[in-house]
Amino acid sequence: MAQFDLGDDGVVVIIGSGAGGGTVANELAQKGIKSVVLEAGKRFGLEDIENDEWAMFNKISWLDKRHSAGGWHGAVNHPTLPTWIVKGFGGSTVHWAGVALRFKEYEFKTRTTYGAIDGANVEDWPVDLAEMTPWYEKAELKMGVTGKTTGMPHLPWNNGFRVLAEGCRRTGRSDYNSGPMAINSVERDGRPACQQIGFCMQGCAIGAKWSTMTTELPRAEATGNCEIRTDCMALRIEHDAAGKVTGVVYADKDGNQQLQKARVVCVAGNTIESPRLLLNSASPMYPDGLANSSGQVGKNYMTHTTGGVYAAMPEKVHMFRGTSVAGIVGDEVHHDASRGFSGGYYLEFLSLGLPFMAAFLEPGNTGWGRSVSRALESYDRMSGVWVLGEDLAQERNAITLHDSETDQYGLPVPIVSKTPHNNDYAMTAHMYETSAQIYEAVGATDVYELPSYPASHNMGTNRMHADRAKGVVNGHGQSHDIANLFVSDGSQFTSSAACNPTLTIVALAIRQAEYIAKEMNAHSI
Amino acid sequence: MSITFHRIPPSGPDHLGMSRRMFLLTTTMAGITTSMMLGSAGAAFASPLDAGQSAMLLRMVQDIYPHPGLLQISHYESISGTVIKGAQDNAETATALIDGLGRVNALAQELFAVDYVDVADADAREGILRKFQNEGFFQGVRWTAYFGIYNNKEVWPLFGYQGSSVEQGGYLDRGFSDITFVPQGPTLEQRLAEVQQ
Repeated sequence: MAQFDLGDDGVVVIIGSGAGGGTVANELAQKGIKSVVLEAGKRFGLEDIENDEWAMFNKISWLDKRHSAGGWHGAVNHPTLPTWIVKGFGGSTVHWAGVALRFKEYEFKTRTTYGAIDGANVEDWPVDLAEMTPWYEKAELKMGVTGKTTGMPHLPWNNGFRVLAEGCRRTGRSDYNSGPMAINSVERDGRPACQQIGFCMQGCAIGAKWSTMTTELPRAEATGNCEIRTDCMALRIEHDAAGKVTGVVYADKDGNQQLQKARVVCVAGNTIESPRLLLNSASPMYPDGLANSSGQVGKNYMTHTTGGVYAAMPEKVHMFRGTSVAGIVGDEVHHDASRGFSGGYYLEFLSLGLPFMAAFLEPGNTGWGRSVSRALESYDRMSGVWVLGEDLAQERNAITLHDSETDQYGLPVPIVSKTPHNNDYAMTAHMYETSAQIYEAVGATDVYELPSYPASHNMGTNRMHADRAKGVVNGHGQSHDIANLFVSDGSQFTSSAACNPTLTIVALAIRQAEYIAKEMNAHSI
Repeated sequence: MSITFHRIPPSGPDHLGMSRRMFLLTTTMAGITTSMMLGSAGAAFASPLDAGQSAMLLRMVQDIYPHPGLLQISHYESISGTVIKGAQDNAETATALIDGLGRVNALAQELFAVDYVDVADADAREGILRKFQNEGFFQGVRWTAYFGIYNNKEVWPLFGYQGSSVEQGGYLDRGFSDITFVPQGPTLEQRLAEVQQ
């Protein structure tokens, strides 16, 4: 692996090694551009992956101090765990389930499609589906997404999804399938085919699922153009008198502060840490934080509008056998104002192991007693879905900094505030009803509705906008204020869409790397 | 936030908490088995709970996650033993636990004029515990019970959960798609055909 000098001001410094940062790093490395990746967590490899829900939760989760706030149930039930993401080599691509859906055309144009919505801050993206389609294709080829782009068949259907699919058929639905998934259904790109292990979200132990841990990061290192420093937490981005960023101050594994000089900085620390870093980098020249002339850094925090539905069937299902997210129902992904809400939603079959089912069936202090116990005895007869729909941007949903409490690095603790919009309540009711109808059609005896989990899909806090007064970055994720500062993760999303964000993060990262290379070659940055 | 039961009525009644036979077992054996276990756990430590408190704790862990047809009394004794061990190791925990048990019992006396363990109606016992569910001592017992049951590899087979599979080659050849009450999924040929350009 390459080693770059702290004083080398020719490198791109990338903060974070997940879907955004890991992809940008490898794309730049393949083009011969040198980079240093600062990863806050430890180095992980396949040997660290266990089929054990709590063991992996404790091993890989981002558990640094955070406060959960706002009107969502998690402010009470998950007060220190607003999100469920990874701190480590590969970032949240270790944890993700592999669902690789593209945005729909209207989901890039939410302001145009929905109009202004009271209490929300809905805007159009500066890019659209036509612009993004070739980048989606590159992302699908890179990640190995089942479907037409790669020609890889979708995965075989497991028990749990077959129950859901039959319910869909009986209720007249047509858009349900076991893909697209970034999980190999055949051996491809040096990675094996899925063995239906389950535990996808604890990390794929054989590397059948795409993760930057097993693909982008080792490949970037192998070029000799990329140095990945783990256990290195970015603390602050520095800039010069002209306002250009010049380097990143970070705490190394021994807790010592280092300054890595940089020609370009890409921020990809996920939707809490990325705006937090920009806010913590405030200076006399940028008193409200870097890249924040719009005032939108940290605002418009979106997760997805989510919940869970688990149905007890008359016979055994053993849903835990096989791919965790084994199938996707897309019939409800369209905008139809007559439904009483804007945007659409997916139903994604999702298995939980018994430990997580018992913890999340009814989260918080009330999740015990006869009803819970009785429900859990039907565990081996359950099939269920995670429902996820578009979450509207709202300014009040935001990442802010605690005014006195600090973390182990001495940085103000982030407060993650999330209050559902009325749109979310209307959509959630529709999601639960649809899911129950599907499962009742196939003979469910009981249907359990679960509230949202701590969010794994986190977006919007450094959003893209063509108008520099309304967004933090432009259509390439480049700061409107500082030309050599980029945002490379899901925080650049203008809207959340209904789908899982990873494919779009990767597509944007490939496109951004191309742009950075072009601008560097032109000496514009 | 609570579980919402959808409009179809529940398929059967909730558990009564335990069978009559199990109830008799616990009330007659709790003190003995718990003290025996503590004796074997380490004679140097005296249990911070007396026999009545230990019996009450055992009753309580069963009321928190009742699985009368599924779990044995020994499973619950193991959990109450873990709680007691925690109280032995930490004076603050012991004080809070003893105080909490006392208040639970006082509420049972106030409402039903009997000790908590003698309240015969499982709903009534759960109702008493609900009053204390936001307190640390209760959640300490609750989460010990949670991990002792649902995160316990020895208990998993009783719930039909098979856990880790990677060392056995996954579930690919071990029933990932073996149910017969719904149609089969598409064949490999069908799945290949649908992704042809």
